[in-house]
Amino acid sequence: MNIPVTVIGGYLGAGKTTLLNRLLADPQGVKFAVVVNDFGSVNIDAALIASREGETISLTNGCVCCSIGDNLALALHDLAERPDGPEHIVIEASGVADPARIADYAASHPRLFLDGIVVVADAETVCKRVHDKYVGDLVRDQLAAADVIVLSKTDLVDADVCRQVREWIATEVPGARIVAAPRAGQVAGFMLSGATDSTMPRPRPDAEHARQFTTWSFVRRQTLDGDALRAAIAALPAAVVRAKGIVRLAEAPDRRFVLQLVGRRWSLEPELDGAQEALASGSSTIVCIGLTDQLDPEGLEALFAPTPVGGVPPDARALLEGEAGA
Amino acid sequence: MPGPITIFSARKIITMDPAVEEATHIAVRDGIILELGTLDECAVWGPYTLDDRFGDSILVPGLIESHAHLLDGLLWAKAEYVGPIDRRDPSGKLHKALKSVPALVERLKEIEASISTPEAPLIGWGVDPSLNDLVGPITRHDLDQVSKTRPIFLLHASCHLAYVNSATLDLANYAAIKAPGVLRDASGVPTGELQEMAAMMAAIKAVASDLVGASTDTEPFFNFAKVAQARGATTIVDGGGSTYFEPAFLQAALAATGSPDFPVRIVAHNNGITVPKVEDMIAAATSLRDKGNDKLAFQGIKILVDGSNQGFTGRLRAPGYLRTGANGLWNRAPEELVWIVSAMHVAGMQIVAHCNADQASEAFIEAVAAAQAEKPRADHRHFIVHGQLLDESQLRRMAALGISATLFSNHMYYWGDFHRTHTFGAFRAAAMNPAATALRLGLVVAAHSDTPVSPVDPLLTMWAAVNRVTTTGRVQGPRERVSAYEGLRMMTYNAAWLLHRDHEIGSLRVGKRADFTVLGDDPLAVEPMAIKDVPVLATILGGRVFPVAG
Repeated sequence: MNIPVTVIGGYLGAGKTTLLNRLLADPQGVKFAVVVNDFGSVNIDAALIASREGETISLTNGCVCCSIGDNLALALHDLAERPDGPEHIVIEASGVADPARIADYAASHPRLFLDGIVVVADAETVCKRVHDKYVGDLVRDQLAAADVIVLSKTDLVDADVCRQVREWIATEVPGARIVAAPRAGQVAGFMLSGATDSTMPRPRPDAEHARQFTTWSFVRRQTLDGDALRAAIAALPAAVVRAKGIVRLAEAPDRRFVLQLVGRRWSLEPELDGAQEALASGSSTIVCIGLTDQLDPEGLEALFAPTPVGGVPPDARALLEGEAGA
Repeated sequence: MPGPITIFSARKIITMDPAVEEATHIAVRDGIILELGTLDECAVWGPYTLDDRFGDSILVPGLIESHAHLLDGLLWAKAEYVGPIDRRDPSGKLHKALKSVPALVERLKEIEASISTPEAPLIGWGVDPSLNDLVGPITRHDLDQVSKTRPIFLLHASCHLAYVNSATLDLANYAAIKAPGVLRDASGVPTGELQEMAAMMAAIKAVASDLVGASTDTEPFFNFAKVAQARGATTIVDGGGSTYFEPAFLQAALAATGSPDFPVRIVAHNNGITVPKVEDMIAAATSLRDKGNDKLAFQGIKILVDGSNQGFTGRLRAPGYLRTGANGLWNRAPEELVWIVSAMHVAGMQIVAHCNADQASEAFIEAVAAAQAEKPRADHRHFIVHGQLLDESQLRRMAALGISATLFSNHMYYWGDFHRTHTFGAFRAAAMNPAATALRLGLVVAAHSDTPVSPVDPLLTMWAAVNRVTTTGRVQGPRERVSAYEGLRMMTYNAAWLLHRDHEIGSLRVGKRADFTVLGDDPLAVEPMAIKDVPVLATILGGRVFPVAG
């Protein structure tokens, strides 16, 4: 099974570490490896630490935290080649790194692939920073590289300022997917869930999360038309920040395809072998997670309506007949 | 009980000390200069042995390489040098420049034929097609002419690129590696050029794993020292990436430098490059303070502010890189720099800051200004490494704040033409490494090679600062040329001052260490363009003679 890699970028102090802390404290059953510049900045609860060996801290919940040392590629290759390796790797880019360059490392090993780039921007300071003579260009590059922008510390600015910041980012980064959160950690779990082949994204159970995010699902027993589906995905509104699908396409009905979407980045690829039994049904399922205050379920229904084509794939038919017989 | 006295005679001894500028004899006892002058003046100390093997030669204070990297010694130990610049290896053998792809391929064939184990990879270093007579890419097709079965891996001089053959591409499964730095031809097949670590790592792990991870052998230390000694250096800096705070590495360093045969003194900067937190840097520097020996000392904490100019990653002020207007990369955010510099400055540390382009220098200067406002300190000797585009206003602020620099004068020679046409344009290429203005403003500046980036060769570095000539013979920024005397002072006294060692080395004066470089000609009297060709005959370190082969 290949390992998805998520890059968390953003300037110093934006809230990247808050996000990682939350992830490590409550990984929701996923074995994460978090790769950081400096252990010191990640505040791991001592009770969670199972062991520490050189550049790696192992946690009791199955996650590991590794420091980059002087070579990110080496750290990633070591993780990719571990027999009991992680299910998902999250890299904390340094505050002065261009996350697009860091994302290149996700393609440095055959077992790794890029899931997405999440950039945390501080609502209070981001607009000022882009005019800084030293880091203005860097902060712009970081935002431009983002598949999803997590706008943090929104509780420190009033609603008007927050709206202005969002509008400014939308002009600066066309098509930007912006998730606002007073604490970046609040959106961690959902942003990073469902990246592995066998899991679907799911919102966290807490109430605050439920207020902020809405899940919308699309399930059809028919195969889908590939071109229509690709067109629908490309036209998804900015309110959809995460999507995952396992679908049958008419162009290749004997296999399943996996849709992964993180903000502006998406892929629709044939499922790799080994994951066939993960979802037993032959149906096509797409789960979208979007911002509650912006998501329009009827619009999504309309968007995906043209995708199904008549045929039910043979193994699905067998399944359905089995159901009917029971 | 004092030891025996040796008096060395010379055609001329250049002291670089204004009290007595020239002499013919120098008396040494217990590694220390006892007297300087005529034979009679030296003889008053009592019985002596006269060593007149250098009676026809010129003695100068031991030359100091003020910025270099131990990596040079590791590369000589683990890889074959195949670059476009003449270099001598630790045994003194000259490796002639390979300035075209066919010349490179021919040399690789010779090396290939000399490797006995069939599966052993061929690892090369120092390649840089931008310095070839005809600039063009190196591809797997070129390297497949050398071998289709033996993996080949050639590291670029910048260490940011590599070139590999088809055998390496197959072995490391590059068909499945999608990193954009893996260049591909029109049909999607990798060309063999791998840009940046994300693209290089699979090949490094498959065939060249010796090049990453800290070696704890003594061989790299000896290689590093021998190459520099052969070009007349008696003190060299290891510029900050090494992990002396790790016990096994420190042990190797102490074992090497503790040998009586170790031919140079190493002054190592403390590591502020791979150590992320400033508290840890300060703690490591503090704990290493007394851990050295007679030939190993720790001085200053080295931090990286930006990248490299020829790699387009130095941080420039407006208008940015030539034509594109792009800018480079920060290694430390300027606001992070403010607190790191403040913490080190307040803790009494010396800060050594890699600032390649002028915006990086500006951020560092501002950080020191803030730290000086917080806690004024005299004689901290913080200095900038490279500082290639410093201008007069920056140099004046540096003078006011007590910041100095070691300039990358070799750059004007090797990359002066490249910067003119590719990175900076005509004006800024002519403005590089402004040594004359810096000296005029009272800064104690030195110059360096940054080996392995360019070859360690203090006379060549002096020559580059004196002549400011490029490989094609163009003189850029002639007003910034320094006199031969100033050039020699940059490579001796000034460098010693930067390293807080001017009371011990850097000039010849009674009571200082007996570190000399023995030359076949007077570098202050020869034609300025001939300085780099002055023969190095030997070095003398603490009174002990280390001959130079050839």
